[in-house]
Amino acid sequence: MSEARSRNSEPTGRALLKGLAFASPFIIGFLVLYAWPILASGYYSLTDFSLFKAPKWVGLANYERMISDAKFWKSLYNTLFFTFVGVPVDIAISIAGAHILNQKLRGQPLWRALVYLPSIVPAVAAGFLWRWLLNAQYGFVNEILRWFHIPQPNWLLDASWGGISVIVLMLWTVGGTMLIYLAALKNVPQELYEAAELDGAGPLRRFWHITWPMISPVTLFQVIVLMIAFLQVFTQPFVLSKDPGLGTQTATGPGDSMLSYSIYLFQNGFTFLKMGYASAMAWVLLFVTLAITLLILWSAKKWVFYDNR
Amino acid sequence: MTTAEIQGTTLGERVPVGGRFGWLMTIYRYALVILLALVFVFPFVVMLTTAFKVSDEIFTAPPELFPRSWTLEHFYNALTQIPFWRFLINTVVIAGLSVLGTVLVSPLVAYSLAKLRWRGRNLLFIMVLATMMLPPQVTLIPIYMMWNKVGLTGTILPLVIPAFLGTPFFIFLIRQFLLSVPDELIEAAKVDGASEFRIYWSIVLPIARPALITSAVFQFVWAWTDFLYPLIYLNDEESYTLSIGLYSFLGQHGVQWGPLMAACVLFTLPAFLIFLMFQRYFIGGIATGALK
Amino acid sequence: MSTALGVVMMFGGALGAYAQDKTEITFSYLWGGAEGAALEQIIADFNASQDKIVVKGVSSPDMTKQLASMSSAKGAFDISDNFASNIASWSNQGILLPLDEFGIDTSDFPESVMKQLVVDGVLYSLPIATHNFQLVYNKKLLDEAGVTPPTTTAELAEAIKKLTKVDAEGNVTQLGLGLTDISAGMKTLGYAFGGDWNRDGKPTPTDANFVKGVQFYYDNVVAPVTPAAYNKFVAGFGPYMSDQDSFKQGKIAMVFEGEWRAKFNAEAGMDWGVVPVPGETPELLGSTWADVSTMFIPTNTGNKEAAGEFLKYIVSPPVMEKFSHVLANLPGRISLAGSAAYDDLPNFKVWLDAMNSPNTHGLPPALYMAEYNADLASAFDSVLQGAQTPEAALQAVADRTGSYSQ
Repeated sequence: MSEARSRNSEPTGRALLKGLAFASPFIIGFLVLYAWPILASGYYSLTDFSLFKAPKWVGLANYERMISDAKFWKSLYNTLFFTFVGVPVDIAISIAGAHILNQKLRGQPLWRALVYLPSIVPAVAAGFLWRWLLNAQYGFVNEILRWFHIPQPNWLLDASWGGISVIVLMLWTVGGTMLIYLAALKNVPQELYEAAELDGAGPLRRFWHITWPMISPVTLFQVIVLMIAFLQVFTQPFVLSKDPGLGTQTATGPGDSMLSYSIYLFQNGFTFLKMGYASAMAWVLLFVTLAITLLILWSAKKWVFYDNR
Repeated sequence: MTTAEIQGTTLGERVPVGGRFGWLMTIYRYALVILLALVFVFPFVVMLTTAFKVSDEIFTAPPELFPRSWTLEHFYNALTQIPFWRFLINTVVIAGLSVLGTVLVSPLVAYSLAKLRWRGRNLLFIMVLATMMLPPQVTLIPIYMMWNKVGLTGTILPLVIPAFLGTPFFIFLIRQFLLSVPDELIEAAKVDGASEFRIYWSIVLPIARPALITSAVFQFVWAWTDFLYPLIYLNDEESYTLSIGLYSFLGQHGVQWGPLMAACVLFTLPAFLIFLMFQRYFIGGIATGALK
Repeated sequence: MSTALGVVMMFGGALGAYAQDKTEITFSYLWGGAEGAALEQIIADFNASQDKIVVKGVSSPDMTKQLASMSSAKGAFDISDNFASNIASWSNQGILLPLDEFGIDTSDFPESVMKQLVVDGVLYSLPIATHNFQLVYNKKLLDEAGVTPPTTTAELAEAIKKLTKVDAEGNVTQLGLGLTDISAGMKTLGYAFGGDWNRDGKPTPTDANFVKGVQFYYDNVVAPVTPAAYNKFVAGFGPYMSDQDSFKQGKIAMVFEGEWRAKFNAEAGMDWGVVPVPGETPELLGSTWADVSTMFIPTNTGNKEAAGEFLKYIVSPPVMEKFSHVLANLPGRISLAGSAAYDDLPNFKVWLDAMNSPNTHGLPPALYMAEYNADLASAFDSVLQGAQTPEAALQAVADRTGSYSQ
């Protein structure tokens, strides 16, 4: 093939130089913004230091403290709750919504735009808006529930509902995922459905045996991307729970139910000035993210179907 | 239900729906999509109507959707109490510079991954993938210390410079796109004696325009809505972005829902306009990016 | 573009300053809203009184941002305010400029306050205003219920019972005693029972009488209406000191409030009164705690002298008097305590008198305040949710104190 011939005729040394030249900004960026900071943060996690004083070596003390720190576990629990509830629901809603959007309808650009619109609202504005919507007395969410005679929870002041409020806010921006699935659905070959029709398969079976496997690569990608996003969630719970105006207490929602891992990390680093501890928390997050990613990738063999055509 | 009707619901626009209950199905389908859109749009409606309501009407229990008397005072308050235009300009500057950086640098790196053959290529690709998955919290503090050491905290540079060093997500996105660019084009140019950079700049880049625009548009939105980085790096109110401005508005004035909702409307408006203008690229780009 | 513009502006400003010999400094303050506006009056006065320094005031109520600015290479302000309780911790971090060089006479400031602002013999901050909390009540609601302002905690409990109203469906329509600032209120109640959450400079969340105080609130306010109804009612509270303020709206009949409330209530045209905090015993009457708003200069300021000038100005007796009067705060100077300037603030006397009372507790300096306050906030929230007893919640805080910076 012509490509192989001409590429291979180039001396590898020159090819290497070219490659490095083009990639140089990222290589610099990687070293400066990723490699060195990761190592530095690893070092900081073994010290006790605030921004203004020299780090003092304490070995594994920060990690030991983490084990007995109730708020650390709470923040971890909250974040895992957001993730393991939020991600599946996100995907489910996205797939369902994609099916709805996939119908023969006029005005497709409009529907897609409306569904994606929440994603471009600055998270801070979205947070405030939902604080208003979820207000137990004046909020519209409870008003709508009242119409249907469904009990109205105290979204933002009830410890059992605080975490769910965060998830609701995050689900509002599900539009992006929905559109990705829409594109994925359009890529599923018609013939497969027609064949299934002839075999007498109903809609649910067609979904499970055709649609689901065909979109599973997208699902894998989305699960990982969403999982990473949910594990790092900061702005949404921060704005939902921030104590307005009154002093500057670090508010974390009813019963600390909105204390996400990132918020607690941020508090430790920038409010309590315990940067060593915050760095240790960051490393734990790194491991948790890696572990879950690997778990998902390993499980992918069981349910992800790659079209080898 | 006829076969055609069933196919109509699963496969999209290509199969026409016929049969006796066709019109019922059509209504059903439109109802579904309207309901779906409504769920996402309803909060905006609340935001808008609250912004126009007279203060007393805002706190009615049970809440009423439409204002009985309309007022512009909240918008006036929001605009005079916060330096809206300055925040807007700041946000546009930061977002614009980030886009510039992304569009200049990310394709360069993507090209090295997609179209060049060199020894470190696979290693670089793994580096890109790995950094995509890295939680920013891990590097947050050391990066902050670093910027502090060179005296750049309190400026917009920490927010903008990283875009000029390549963003892993966009590198990945553009790389995927570039893989589908036919190599014959490049070969032809090489035969003509063009340098690698020439090939990149004059041939590959124009073809990659859709991916570039998608990256630009996404980068813009990310920078526009960013909260955490401006929170820790921008100290001077002069340099605040819209996100931080809105947040500090809350702190300064307490939760006055009228002006707050008005401010939210104002802060969302520019993003909404940009979105309308570039709608095609947003939605097209999402599909391209995720599937390739 | 804005950076370029900024550079041009700075250059132009510097040029202009050089031409007129004016230095511009930034005074970032935690106050906002109406109080911020009042403060701007003081700033305008200073700018008009001399032509060497121009002070620019910026309202920035977030303490985290304050810290971020002070830790940055390029700070956002040259002088700011905070609370005495944070001074020790911040001076320890090296971000506060020592103020001894400005030669300000500190004899007119209360000893109890100065103890918090002088660390290792070095002066780091000066008081601009003090605050304490007393029991503010809605006269109209009390008269309607036939209740006289309580003087003991037992009377307070009785009063709460009579002033708490619940409708037929179990929804609260009025609370006898409310909390506009949860932590402040709980701490005050703790003192009312002779307890102390920070005894002798050490965190003491499980101090027996402090726990009693928190328990009091739960038993008398939350439990009778159930936590669910309580929280549902609280969810409907409007923003503090706005039109929808819970006290102004008559949603809470009594509340522990600071002296700045006098101005707001008067302007709201309310029929209200204030009495010293009811104590468990007569000796404990008026038990409360004092916080001090203080001025400081960050080490990363570029305009030390100008900032120092403004500092001297704002803590000088006439200016401090005007400042505290305009904001309805208590003055930081001993000599101003009996000033007639406050006569037009109704009911202000109760707070004024408490300034020198032995039952007004000051806060010793502590490095762990930020964390401790955050943990206490979580504990109080847990109690108000009915999730934990005060004893358990505060014990959880005690378990954490081991890792505080001391």
